[in-house]
Amino acid sequence: MARYILKRVLILVITLWIVVTSTFFLMQILPGTPYNNPKLTASAIEQLNATYGLDKPVIVQYWDYLINLLHGDLGTSFQYQNQSVSMLIGQRLPISAQLGVQALIVGVLFGLWFGALSARHQNQKLDGFLGVVSTLGISTPSFILAIVLLFVFGYQLNWLPVSGWGDSFSQTVLPTIALAVGPAAITTRFVRSEMIEVLHSDYIQLARAKGIGEGQVIQKHAYRNSMIPILTLIGPMTANLLTGSTLVENIFSIPGIGQQFVSSIPTKDYPVIMGTTIVYALMLMVMILITDILTAFVDPRVRLD
Amino acid sequence: MPAPVLQVKNLSVSFQTYAGVVKAIRGVDFDLKKGETLAIVGESGSGKSVTTKTLLGLNAQNATVSEESQILLGEENLAGYEESDWDQVRGAKIAMVFQDPMTSLDPTMTIGKQIAEPMEKHLGMSEKEAFAAALALMKDVGIPDAEKHINDYPHQWSGGMRQRAVIAIALAAEPDVLIADEPTTALDVTIQAQIINVIKAQQKKRDMSVIFITHDLGVVADVADRVAVMYAGKIVEKGTVNEIFYNPKHPYTWGLLSSMPTTSTALGSLHAIPGTPPDLLYPPKGDAFANRNAYALDIDHEKQPPFFKVSDTHEAATWLLDERAPKVEPPVEIQKRQAFWQENFVKEG
Repeated sequence: MARYILKRVLILVITLWIVVTSTFFLMQILPGTPYNNPKLTASAIEQLNATYGLDKPVIVQYWDYLINLLHGDLGTSFQYQNQSVSMLIGQRLPISAQLGVQALIVGVLFGLWFGALSARHQNQKLDGFLGVVSTLGISTPSFILAIVLLFVFGYQLNWLPVSGWGDSFSQTVLPTIALAVGPAAITTRFVRSEMIEVLHSDYIQLARAKGIGEGQVIQKHAYRNSMIPILTLIGPMTANLLTGSTLVENIFSIPGIGQQFVSSIPTKDYPVIMGTTIVYALMLMVMILITDILTAFVDPRVRLD
Repeated sequence: MPAPVLQVKNLSVSFQTYAGVVKAIRGVDFDLKKGETLAIVGESGSGKSVTTKTLLGLNAQNATVSEESQILLGEENLAGYEESDWDQVRGAKIAMVFQDPMTSLDPTMTIGKQIAEPMEKHLGMSEKEAFAAALALMKDVGIPDAEKHINDYPHQWSGGMRQRAVIAIALAAEPDVLIADEPTTALDVTIQAQIINVIKAQQKKRDMSVIFITHDLGVVADVADRVAVMYAGKIVEKGTVNEIFYNPKHPYTWGLLSSMPTTSTALGSLHAIPGTPPDLLYPPKGDAFANRNAYALDIDHEKQPPFFKVSDTHEAATWLLDERAPKVEPPVEIQKRQAFWQENFVKEG
């Protein structure tokens, strides 16, 4: 087990290095410079270039970046002067993560519930209804949903605040729903098909033949077995939600990391682009690793070596 | 004569499908005495498995058991049971050994737990008691080093061992009737004999009644006291194992027996029954076997034959047994069997 995790961490580091390298050089191809202000004089630009090391050859910049990265230094933002990238991310990531965790809990719980319900009432009215709702949920982009929620519950009914963050919990409700609907719908469809497959399996028939009651059959035999593939869906979904949604954060004026990532690209804020990309990549890989380890716990057939 | 443990009367089961109503079981009668083995034989789709699944209420949701059907287990008629009523029957009174041991065990639960489950439910054992009883039962069905393997998961075991575990699960709550639904079909031949011996030994020890579903006549000869031959959702002939093997009366039984390779079967001469079974969406008006039957009479196409009694224990549903029917010569293979019957089973005089 420890050996397996060590191996996986090593692969993770190599993957991260590839991500860092390719992002770094791709960034250089981006047209434009970080200096969008027309008032800047040529000598000022020269001085700024020297300060941030942008006057050195690209390969040297890359090497410096790697060395700094190994020391845990993600550099300093161009956009927000004198603020280190780690600090910027440290301020904004928890906000996105809180929103993401809320959306994940709501999304997965509803997904499991609706999916199981659909599977148990396969091809009946309820299943058909949930099928339509979840298809709608999958195909509606979160930002459209965000605007509709905002308009109906924020503006028309005036039940919930329309924007902002950190003043009250009620501010998180609408963005949480906007973010949770997609994952809930995907989980519903997935759980439904997994459960149906499991419920038709031979071992469920054998469990039924034991006379332990349908409730026990589902709880003890069906859930665990249908959870195995669902874990592989929830892992990457978690990484996705924790690292924030650009559009939803923008619509609700939430100072999360997603918003920052987008604003860093047109301003050519190289260190922020690099920093957020690393956080995204790392999060995804760690979640996949956790998923694999969890799968081994749930499924005895999976051996981690 | 002791009362039968289980009596099935006029059992009919149909399935609602998109294409229409499939009449899978069309009036089946049989009974099962204490301690005996009844083999139900027939080709795929003849309704063997549906019959036994009906005895446990395990048919798919689109199945309907007809109003007139009776499944008498003691005083109880199981045919009218609701889903919630079945739980006291399943495992406790009637249990089942399934066909494919590779897929019929829960891959995420230890084998010990899976055996203990029905004990906790039906025998009121605590988790600890059930675990001890499961261990004893594992030894009983011949699982070696049971202590060491009770916490194993199914994937760690071979097919033969898994089938022993499936048998242990079926025996766990001490049922009166054990249904073995092709328990050896998925196993290789050397293991088949072992599994059959386990079932036979347990049956003897527990004085349990067994319904053995199979399409393998070799297995039937080995295990059965009585045999029921099924075709197209009906029983066409039933009798003791010797009556069916050596004095068969129904042309379908003739066909089945002739199709069985024996040590005297010449190379390349294996017999097959021509044609395919009828579509039970539209069951034929006469004898369902008529179209494939070389001995079919005109009436076979018009009217379903009733059962004709051959002996107290033997009856067959074929018009050939009617007194007005012409005398026919059965296939050579069957004639040999009947000669053997005359020599060994018919008393002189």
